[in-house]
Amino acid sequence: MAQKSSGFFNWINTRLPIVNTYERHLSKHPVPKKVNFWYMFGALASVVLIIQIVSGIWLMFGYENTEEGAFASIEYIMRDIEYGWVIRYMHTTGASMFFAVVYLHMFRGLLYGSYHKPRELVWVFGMTIYLVMMAEGFLGYVLPYGQMSYWGAQVIISLFGAIPYIGESLEIWVRGDYYISGATISRFFALHVVALPLILIALVFMHLVALHEVGAGNPEGVDIEKHLDEDGVPLDSVPFFPYKVLNALVAIGIFGIVFSIIMFFFPEGGGYMLELANFEEANPLSTPEHIAPVWYYSPYYAMLRAVPDKLGGLVVMGAAIAILFVVPWLDRSKAASIRYKGILSKIAMTIFIISWLMLAWLGTVPVTALRTTLSIIGTVIYFAFFLLMPIYTSIEKTKPVPERL
Amino acid sequence: MKKFLLLVFLFFCSQHILPAVGAPCGDYGDCDDFKPQLNNMESLQRGALTFINHCYGCHSLKYSRWSRIAEDLEIPESIFAENLVFGKDIKLGDRMTGSMKPAVSETWFGIAPPDLTLVTRLHGSDWVYTYLRTFYEDSSKPYGVNNMVYPGAAMPNVLASMQGQQILSCKDIPVIASNGGVRRDEYGNDITEEKCGYLKTIEGSGLLSNKEFDEVIFNLVNFMTYVGEPARSDRERIGWYAILFFVVFTALSHLLFREYQKDYH
Amino acid sequence: MEEKITTRRKVLIGMTSAVGAVGASFAVVPFIASWNPSAKAKAVGGPVKIDVSKMQVGQKIQVSWRKQPVFVIRHSKEALKNLSKVESKLDDPSSLKIDEPYRDINPTRSTSKEYTVIAGVCTHLGCAPKYYPEMESQPWDESWVGGFFCPCHGSMFDIVGRVFKGVPAPTNLKVPPHFFDGNILTIGEERGTA
Repeated sequence: MAQKSSGFFNWINTRLPIVNTYERHLSKHPVPKKVNFWYMFGALASVVLIIQIVSGIWLMFGYENTEEGAFASIEYIMRDIEYGWVIRYMHTTGASMFFAVVYLHMFRGLLYGSYHKPRELVWVFGMTIYLVMMAEGFLGYVLPYGQMSYWGAQVIISLFGAIPYIGESLEIWVRGDYYISGATISRFFALHVVALPLILIALVFMHLVALHEVGAGNPEGVDIEKHLDEDGVPLDSVPFFPYKVLNALVAIGIFGIVFSIIMFFFPEGGGYMLELANFEEANPLSTPEHIAPVWYYSPYYAMLRAVPDKLGGLVVMGAAIAILFVVPWLDRSKAASIRYKGILSKIAMTIFIISWLMLAWLGTVPVTALRTTLSIIGTVIYFAFFLLMPIYTSIEKTKPVPERL
Repeated sequence: MKKFLLLVFLFFCSQHILPAVGAPCGDYGDCDDFKPQLNNMESLQRGALTFINHCYGCHSLKYSRWSRIAEDLEIPESIFAENLVFGKDIKLGDRMTGSMKPAVSETWFGIAPPDLTLVTRLHGSDWVYTYLRTFYEDSSKPYGVNNMVYPGAAMPNVLASMQGQQILSCKDIPVIASNGGVRRDEYGNDITEEKCGYLKTIEGSGLLSNKEFDEVIFNLVNFMTYVGEPARSDRERIGWYAILFFVVFTALSHLLFREYQKDYH
Repeated sequence: MEEKITTRRKVLIGMTSAVGAVGASFAVVPFIASWNPSAKAKAVGGPVKIDVSKMQVGQKIQVSWRKQPVFVIRHSKEALKNLSKVESKLDDPSSLKIDEPYRDINPTRSTSKEYTVIAGVCTHLGCAPKYYPEMESQPWDESWVGGFFCPCHGSMFDIVGRVFKGVPAPTNLKVPPHFFDGNILTIGEERGTA
């Protein structure tokens, strides 16, 4: 393109390397030629990010960040603004789909060892994105100022109270008031719409730059850089454009079907995406009967409830996320992909999936004695999966990884 | 991919096998099923009339506007203004903020009657539909009535004149044997036992039959479901087009992808 | 590996792009439509009613409709007779350049024989013109016969809001939809469209 392009692009490119950057990171960027559907969730995550930013900006046109006006302004968007309901449901569905896509993307990483050398930093940036997303989702959930917004935030902010010595004053400092008030809403609003999105976009940029430096992985765990053609392009790769773009288009189409079904027919997601208690304005004097987080936090919420100690619960929940950051150094296996790992890894992975889903369910239902026991078992399995990883990945016998894709 | 879909399927199954504890409709047990008919204009109009005549005296619909209801329910504004809107100073564009001052109502009922715009979304239409039909006479309560779905509700049975007297009664229920059949005594008669807690309306005590009354409540809850989310019928209509679009788009881009895949497969 | 452009590919690319473009154009509809005045704005901007019987001859009052000034002027018979005399000074005496709602009904440009109802928004850049009814020399016009003068950029209009020649404002002041029901003037609505 650089050669073909006439005056204008050349003129720009010698001053601002857009053509070079476009070729290096998009059009000619080599991507493994054989990947499966699991490798589509990264592209989908960036699509949802764009959906969230655009629909979020449009929501701001109608939203009011005050204690008196917040709840009513959501109904104003839903009723009085033309097609306001489209924009709002797009944002709420988008929030859940963002987490769904990112969880599947992370699981892909675990499954095929996407964090293996030299992709450790890609994983670490990805985990940071996940962490910021959790904060972003929480802040956004408080903004409608419904009953679940209020009491959900009450529970989460009370976690700060578990920190010894400074806890209680920290709680008040975070809220800026003695309860979750207009002061809390306006700072959460600013963080939700400006501060965290900026950080998120910067992190996504770093995630992609790091990825493009080392190249994308593949489900076989084959290092395609070993076999290059005379131009230094991996033999088992295809250029991003048009081949991978077309692949992504198919994924976006299927994703669009799923997104539309949820957004237009099940926007409440059975009470897991928009909780029914949030259709009542916040009332600081009356707690709803059953407080549950939205589904995407529920595994961690189940862990929090499994520990019969305030500080302990907080520590366990924090550790559950922190441990994900060090996975690249816990996995000692020679093979990256689960396909060539040994039987121990396969068993561990299966048990891990089951217990994670169980925790996700437990986090959404009221507690009973049996469920608490199950939560404890789930939590132990969750940590065992990661903490025992250096052992089972180094003692098991792996299958030889092929040379070519 | 198959394994993944299976996992998703199992996850959703587990949600049904292991339901949450506690019956959704209080002492009544499971709520009666309610399927809204948001395109049935006659039902919605009748429901609106019932709401404004019997509920709006105490309950507001403060997020909704008069004009939106007139428009969506296809009621000409002049007819709407004359028959449904109370008060000359109300403009059709105004929100339906109720006709009662909260302080007054609080002295009447001990608690301000809640705004009902979103009640069907908060509790579900099933719940509201069941609630409105399960008032029964209970002299121990201030209004002489109690409710099975929401025991101790601080609301009188406003529609009692239509429904008639409803009481809690007992009836004989056949005893089920361990094999699943009805247990019989040595003469071959069914063994029954008396169970209580059944709602029964005293025939002829109300203006309407049970069936007619259920229809009035159906229309009312249908209207309240509409008010809870006025865009819902639009939403579902547009949804089909969105899905259709993505199906066509997916099919075409899949063909294109397969075509280009020939270059490297 | 070589990227070939065959007819099949061209057709498929064309079809996919066309379908994508159709989808995208529908997808932007909610984003554009949501910038329209909301039901709240429309409710606040609903029609306003005033009783004009108390106005004195020659008086101008200002009514707020959609938070915009609307001028209502009650003319004397004499003033209306004199309207034709200023026509030589006017740019568009019969309001042919604009979409005049009640053209050729009354010299007042309204639906009434006595009252003029005009939007108090200068057609130049939106300032509110001031009313100078006196027929006397003014700093901006020595032979002033009464009318509106805009302090922002010096546009001049006669007493029924018709623009003078040689001023920055391009067209006559607009006449908003209105109707009279006896002495009650309703601004913002045509008769019977409620």
